[in-house]
Amino acid sequence: MNWRRRFIAAVSVAALAGILTSSALADEVALTIGKLLELTGPLSENAPSQDKAINIAVDYANQAAQSAGVPIKATAISADVQGDPQAALSAARALVAKGATVFIGPSITPESIAIANGLTIQKKITVWPVGTSMRLRTIKDEGTIFRTVPPDSLQARAVAAAVEDKLGAAKGKVLSIAYRNEPYGEGLFKDLSAAWQAKGGKIQGPIVYDPTQATFDSEAQQIVDNNPDAYVVIDYPDTFAKVGAALVRTGKFDPSKLVVPDALAFSTVPSNIPPQALEGARGTRGGSDTSTQAYKLFDDLWQKAGGVEHFALDANSFDSTTLAILAAAAAKSADPAAIQGKIHSVTKPGAAKYSPTNLGDALKAVWAGQPIDYVGVAGAFEFAPNGDPTISRFDIFEYRDGKLHVIKQIDAAE
Amino acid sequence: MSFLDADFWIGVGVTAGVYAIFALGLQLNVGFTGLINLGQAGFMAIGAYAMGMLVVDAGWPLLLALPAAILVAIVAGALVGLPTLRLRADYFGIVTIAFSEIVRYALQNAAFTGGNQGVLGFDGGWREFQAWASNELSPIGLGGTIQLPLLIAVWATLLICLAALTILQRSPWGRVLKAIREDEDAAAALGKNVFAFKLQSLGIAAALAAVAGFFLALNVTYLYPSEFDPSFTFFGYAALILGGFASYGGVVAGAIILCALTEGLRFLDLPLSSSQSGSLRFIIVGLVLIILAMFRPQGLLGSKAEMQLRS
Amino acid sequence: MERRFPFLTANARVAVRLTLVLILVAIVLAVARGPVAVGQTTLNGLVAAGYFSLGAVGLTLVFGSLRIINFAHGDLLTLGAYVTLGISAIGLPFWPAAALAIAATAGIALVLDRIVWEPMRRKRASTLQLFLVAIGLAMVIRYTIQFFAGSQPRSVGQDVLSAIVVGPFHLGALQGLALIVGVAAATLVGLGLAFTPFGKKIRALADDVALAEVSGVDTRRMIRLVWLVAGGLAALAGVLYAAAVGSVNPNFGFLILLSLFTAAVLGGIGNAYGALAGGLIVGLAQEWSTLFFNARWKPVVGFAILIVMLLVMPRGIFGSGRARS
Repeated sequence: MNWRRRFIAAVSVAALAGILTSSALADEVALTIGKLLELTGPLSENAPSQDKAINIAVDYANQAAQSAGVPIKATAISADVQGDPQAALSAARALVAKGATVFIGPSITPESIAIANGLTIQKKITVWPVGTSMRLRTIKDEGTIFRTVPPDSLQARAVAAAVEDKLGAAKGKVLSIAYRNEPYGEGLFKDLSAAWQAKGGKIQGPIVYDPTQATFDSEAQQIVDNNPDAYVVIDYPDTFAKVGAALVRTGKFDPSKLVVPDALAFSTVPSNIPPQALEGARGTRGGSDTSTQAYKLFDDLWQKAGGVEHFALDANSFDSTTLAILAAAAAKSADPAAIQGKIHSVTKPGAAKYSPTNLGDALKAVWAGQPIDYVGVAGAFEFAPNGDPTISRFDIFEYRDGKLHVIKQIDAAE
Repeated sequence: MSFLDADFWIGVGVTAGVYAIFALGLQLNVGFTGLINLGQAGFMAIGAYAMGMLVVDAGWPLLLALPAAILVAIVAGALVGLPTLRLRADYFGIVTIAFSEIVRYALQNAAFTGGNQGVLGFDGGWREFQAWASNELSPIGLGGTIQLPLLIAVWATLLICLAALTILQRSPWGRVLKAIREDEDAAAALGKNVFAFKLQSLGIAAALAAVAGFFLALNVTYLYPSEFDPSFTFFGYAALILGGFASYGGVVAGAIILCALTEGLRFLDLPLSSSQSGSLRFIIVGLVLIILAMFRPQGLLGSKAEMQLRS
Repeated sequence: MERRFPFLTANARVAVRLTLVLILVAIVLAVARGPVAVGQTTLNGLVAAGYFSLGAVGLTLVFGSLRIINFAHGDLLTLGAYVTLGISAIGLPFWPAAALAIAATAGIALVLDRIVWEPMRRKRASTLQLFLVAIGLAMVIRYTIQFFAGSQPRSVGQDVLSAIVVGPFHLGALQGLALIVGVAAATLVGLGLAFTPFGKKIRALADDVALAEVSGVDTRRMIRLVWLVAGGLAALAGVLYAAAVGSVNPNFGFLILLSLFTAAVLGGIGNAYGALAGGLIVGLAQEWSTLFFNARWKPVVGFAILIVMLLVMPRGIFGSGRARS
């Protein structure tokens, strides 16, 4: 009898060990992230840095997961959206065929809407575009679209507050606004001019320019004509390099009167923009308590990786990728619907806060089933039910010697 | 096998169908009338936006908006053709491309067309139909894919247009058109109103562009000015030339092959960076275009004889 | 006198008329919007004209003598700029690198003629076939550049900020250079076509290939010369554009192509002076339009003028030959 009992016990222990080991192996999550990039086409300047941002995020998260003992591994595959909604739809489908269950990108709202309506809503795949247009919120995406970029309405208020802060007052002050002729600029301009005029200020412009034109001197002249109290230029680094040069050449441009939104926020001004166009200029970008350390970490990772310089909104792509991986870890699965279900629980208001500097701990916590509030490089998100960030905290920064310095933080909701 | 994903190839089929309808109009102009119409994307934009705005701003049902949009495009074709059809062929081409770009920039800058924000929300009626159709298709096991109803709609329309154009081409009207292409002065000498025929040809092409635009709009569910840039027209021409000069069937074959090639190359996985993979894809497409133009100039279904007749 | 300089006199008359019209328009505008604004926008327009003219000369030369609508021409501008970047990366200073790049691009244009355009000529290819080849070639050139250089924007590192200031007017130093070189190049090509033996042979070739051969012109050699000049000028335009505008990416040549076509056709396609005139009209019209309309409509201005011109004066300013069918 002794032997039988011992035999049964041994077999049970062995069986239990076998079950435990196999279920541990089954828990290893292999997440395929689809990168929807503007590899060719009119917006192709974006792609190299967005690609790098996502790759850095994947590598960093994988390392953090490994050190923390969390069995999740992400890989990223890319497809070209070509700046065209029809091509974007095809690109997304190719990535789904290759196993992607979450999308980072695309860059513009028409592509996002085409993909949402044609693919991802049905398949419950979460999409993390970089576009800020409120148009995106007019479709019923059934909770599949999330953005780490602040909506125009909030950023416009932040920019207005930044200008008011610089000038000391807004009433009666003339703000000259210029933007590149595309949805980001147009959307932000509408909200900004409303916000500025609500404060009692006046608007000069808008001066709108097409990015493909040969010279920007006439537009630059219009921006600085009549000596306005401040200027806001809503643009991306590639065109701003040319507009900025034209502004300096007018001889009447004072960069300290310039305020720019987050698409022109970089820790170091890229080499294709003349430094005199931004020296002393101010700007806004998403912020948080942990901004400074998070941005430093991000920059260190960026420098170490070599390759292209910073471009617009790359921190936001980094954050989107990290959030997707956190959600997959929380869901213990790479299944798209499971990931979608966990995004709010990794950005839950009131839960324990984590940032990129302790990503390993964050992964451990979500793997253990705890809700967290992950605060990214570009700020905290605490997504609204529709997937837009609710946090209205912004950094106001100033460029000195080609480097970005945060001078204060504001809450755009006030 | 990821390459054989159904959703992906159905999507490619929809795109190919749109390009085929678009290029049927080009073939009518270039292959059968001798008109180098480089502004077809402009007519497509006008048709698509007319449909979108009628549904969203004026509350029209989709099925009424389509014929109205076709009408608007035909009127646009007439307005463009009236002053310009007397120009020499290559100058006509340049005027039409200028027209197409003006349309695009106007759509981007005008407030009533939605400007940069575009037009959204016109596809409600289609979505209901698509849901119903998917339901009907489920019993035979085809309800799982997303765009199968759209694919069927596009290709049914394409085949109808193809049949109509083929019949038209064999009619007396079609014969006059061919005569105009081969020798305008002779046709005029025989008492044919060359100008009127050219105008009709352009109008029909504009109508076909509007139909293509309608399906493009249903495919991407969002109207945005940059969708209608000259690259679309150039791609349509590539499909036409690949498929065969003066052959409507060739247009369809060319569109399928070109779209299948361009999209299929997405599955070429080489150990390259994302940017390099993206560039390589178009290097290959460009090379294929050059090689086909050099070594099979009559296209796949065209005849060399037809080509020699053209100057 | 008429017989000895027939070409010059006719063109000179047109040039004088054009200049007078432009000055008249400028004066009217100055009354409406003030001389300073008009003066500055005129300078800006002249700068744009510099790029357009320089880019359009090669385009018009190739069309005039070979009847090829070269949709790959814009990408030759990009090639010139990027080869310069590549060579300067190895250590050469900018302008010597640019000179080498111009020579290299001219050579590449020649090679492309040998392997692509000449076989098509021998097969008597139709306009559409040539069109398809040009599109394919444009793609191959552009995406090969992007394959090696990436699509991110690059600066060529020249001083885009230094400006020449005279009273209330300012002109970027490099932009001024682009303007002078553009005008000079177009004029030189025009004069060359008019007076040199090469020029006469190329004009004969443009008129009628068979006739030219029968008269003893070595058409093959002339064609090669045309491509060398066209390729070299395109590269020069690309280099100057990159230097004066400051930031480029592989799409820039293709994106400027339609403006180049507009300039070439406006001026009378096939005529080098026409490229200059067309460039001037497009450049000035676009910048002057900002005095009245929001700058967002600038791209439309060139196309609108083109359409009006083709309806009113279809052969273009310096054009000759049939325009109506």
